[in-house]
Amino acid sequence: MGRIGWRGNQEKAGVGSTGQQSSAPELLRMERITKRFGDLVANDEVTFEVLPGEIHALLGENGAGKSTLMKILYGLQQPDSGQVNLDGRTATIRSPHEAVSLGIGMVHQKFMLVPNLTALENVVLGVTSPRPPLLELRDPRRRLMKLAEEHELAIDPDVPVWQLSVGAQQRLEILKALYRGARLLILDEPTAVLAPVEVGQLFRVMRLLAAEGRGIVFISHKLSEVKAVSDRITVLRLGRVTGSLPTAEASPSILSSMMVGRDVSLERVSPPVQGDAPILEMRDVSCLTDRRTPGLASVSLTVRRGEIVGVAGVDGNGQRELVECIAGLRPITGGRIAIQGRPPKGALRKIGLLGLIPEDRHEQGLVGDFDVAENLVLRAYGRRPFSAFGFLRWNQIRSHAVEQINAYDIRCPGPEAKVHHLSGGNQQKVIVARETQEDPALLVAAQPTRGLDVGAVESVLNLIRGQRDRGAAVLLVSTELTELFAVSDRVVVMHAGQIMGTVPPDPARLGEVGEMMMGHTIQVASDGVTAA
Amino acid sequence: MDFAATLPRLVRRVFYRLVVPVVSIAAALSVSGLLIVVASGNPLEAYGAMLQGAAGSIGSLATTGVRTTPILLTGLAVAISFRAGVFNVGAEGQLYLGAAFATVVAVAPLGLPGFIHVPLALLAGFVGGALWVAIPAYLRAYRGVSEVVTTLMLNFVGIYLISYLIDPITGPIGERNASYAQSALIQEAARLPVLISGTSLHAGLLMGIGLAVALQILLRYTGLGFRLRMLGGNPTAARFTGMNSSRQIVIAMLISGGIAGLAGAGEVMGLRMRLYDHFSPGYGYDGIAVALLANSSPLGVIISASFFGALRAGANAMQQATGIETSLVLIIQALTILFVIFGPLRGWVATRTTRRAGLTPGGSESAP
Repeated sequence: MGRIGWRGNQEKAGVGSTGQQSSAPELLRMERITKRFGDLVANDEVTFEVLPGEIHALLGENGAGKSTLMKILYGLQQPDSGQVNLDGRTATIRSPHEAVSLGIGMVHQKFMLVPNLTALENVVLGVTSPRPPLLELRDPRRRLMKLAEEHELAIDPDVPVWQLSVGAQQRLEILKALYRGARLLILDEPTAVLAPVEVGQLFRVMRLLAAEGRGIVFISHKLSEVKAVSDRITVLRLGRVTGSLPTAEASPSILSSMMVGRDVSLERVSPPVQGDAPILEMRDVSCLTDRRTPGLASVSLTVRRGEIVGVAGVDGNGQRELVECIAGLRPITGGRIAIQGRPPKGALRKIGLLGLIPEDRHEQGLVGDFDVAENLVLRAYGRRPFSAFGFLRWNQIRSHAVEQINAYDIRCPGPEAKVHHLSGGNQQKVIVARETQEDPALLVAAQPTRGLDVGAVESVLNLIRGQRDRGAAVLLVSTELTELFAVSDRVVVMHAGQIMGTVPPDPARLGEVGEMMMGHTIQVASDGVTAA
Repeated sequence: MDFAATLPRLVRRVFYRLVVPVVSIAAALSVSGLLIVVASGNPLEAYGAMLQGAAGSIGSLATTGVRTTPILLTGLAVAISFRAGVFNVGAEGQLYLGAAFATVVAVAPLGLPGFIHVPLALLAGFVGGALWVAIPAYLRAYRGVSEVVTTLMLNFVGIYLISYLIDPITGPIGERNASYAQSALIQEAARLPVLISGTSLHAGLLMGIGLAVALQILLRYTGLGFRLRMLGGNPTAARFTGMNSSRQIVIAMLISGGIAGLAGAGEVMGLRMRLYDHFSPGYGYDGIAVALLANSSPLGVIISASFFGALRAGANAMQQATGIETSLVLIIQALTILFVIFGPLRGWVATRTTRRAGLTPGGSESAP
């Protein structure tokens, strides 16, 4: 349930009586919005408001329901229940077109621009020309340049969009929305694509727009940016509002506990195993992201036999690159990685060396069109007993599948069921079964419980614990602190491609983790893992 | 598992695989029938004449076989690439190169017996097709260049390269002083045996059927086939198993190009006995239609190629009997493919087979 504890509520009750912006009601009020996709509740009675002149940050992990809420606001999806009010009036928004005509503008993460049209042409695209059927550009140009000047959104109207930098394209998107008369502007993770200098410029523009009385929804999962620019923060977690408060009152530890859940029950099942031989050794490892920006910056990390090392951090801070470097799937630009003394390249093809549970099970972990039996031998199909002289032995593959289905309690009609028909939890069990069946020395699990229901989370975590108890070295990457603290023997925190520090899984240290997730360095005596 | 439980299930499976192609063909024939009516013809009469021309006698059956052979092979070439997630639309060019390579070996007076000369020339055909696709394969696997563009463009290069090679004046393998652009006649020993005497039906058809069976076994029962299907099913997941995807892409494309090359070799060595300028009326492109109708199943390709082959074989008889243009066949072919890729039909099968599995599509999480 959403708990809204701020002025907006009272203002709703008695319009114009609370002093601040007395005569204006909320620009936007989304009330008890619920949206389900099958069994998954993407938005659960979410209430969300934006005042005129307010920059309202919407904070939450991937899958928390931010995008769904904004899609409903922009008319891309319809809520199952709940109401959208604009200027105090109920509005039904059936399409983006209607949203635009109601004064809602959205800057998507992926820009909606036509690359080979000019900036000006992109702005007028979809707006009726003053002199149809002719394309009249003189007045639009004047209007556009005026808007650009007033809002410090420098743009050359005659340059084709493909020649514009990413920052300029974003400015153009904002101008496009303003040109269409947006009073409420949604910015979906606008900083993800920007360099630090551009982020500063964007924030200045946002404040200018707010000063004119426009409302701005700022979607982000970067705590520091949210703190820097917003007036108010609403946190979503698993489809629900876990808190809404003025930015001035928001401390990192409050925010991180809202993001990861308040009632952390840290139940440890087995005591930490004594540190043993190092299995994974990383020294000063650096690499690039897919966009060729720095991904990892001089990361050093050791994982020993019989321990689970948890990797905490806000999504997108180098966890993905870390996992791919260890698996030999991403070239490193500096440093050294060794798994039992071997380089990571080709480690996946060795028997019993490396198990990998990738973060995206549909994209990276499974072949949806293959059946369960085939997915269980995705890596081992070419070896005995599943193969002999280049030919597959289907009897072996099938009986192996039956064994694994029983051993891992994979709920499915049988080994010949296509894996895309299975539920998320059972799909994940297929991957865990496959990646652990050869008792790998090192198991790397990236977000293994993402999107799973409570029961499935429990069984997947137990399977990972079982690997540790068997003597595997385990690297567990997760954004769920609860989970990390429950199963890890120690937790390292990543921020901006670096390891900020290491803490023991002691509930009292949660606050420190929150600080480090935001990029604050904390001096911790640790096992040689320090902030670079 | 007892026999009774296996049988209906197998029947079910086959049924669901046949729904899309059979309904598509029926729909295409119906719509084309309307066109015939519009052109004031009688569709039943037209289709009857077509059937007569395609299967009415041994001779017409042989013609169907002859027309089926090249598109069976190019269909297999395209199908195997589709299964590996690669879109080789350059079978036409590979077919020409395969024909040229086979011709070079087949015209050479090697003095070898047929059972050596024929395989040697076929091998050359395979190599020719594979070499032609090696360029796009390298570019796709190691440079990230879309194979759709490169294979398609190389078709034109290939076709005109052959025109140059067999030019009567300047071409290195052209027959001197011939009035057409053509190669010399191939050696007796390099000719594919005729299957039914008095007809042109040659052993190329058997080669195609044999290859279809071999490819079906390859895909289902070998490690290589598993890798190719994995690559086609989800290339990212394949990469996350540590598989060297680039290498598998190259292998898939070389096999595909080689088979297209065999199609060209078969035409030269079984039917025409020479390499002619522009001898293919688009067999390489027909292969795409054949593979689509068969949903890229090698055994299915035998059936879909036979269907298109029969259409072509029956077209002349239809024109003679009813005066309807043979180009109706192309309309039927195009309509069939349109219905095959028509979403709702596939969707219906998908939901039916999913319900059979006792589950809802998409599992429990269909959220963004």
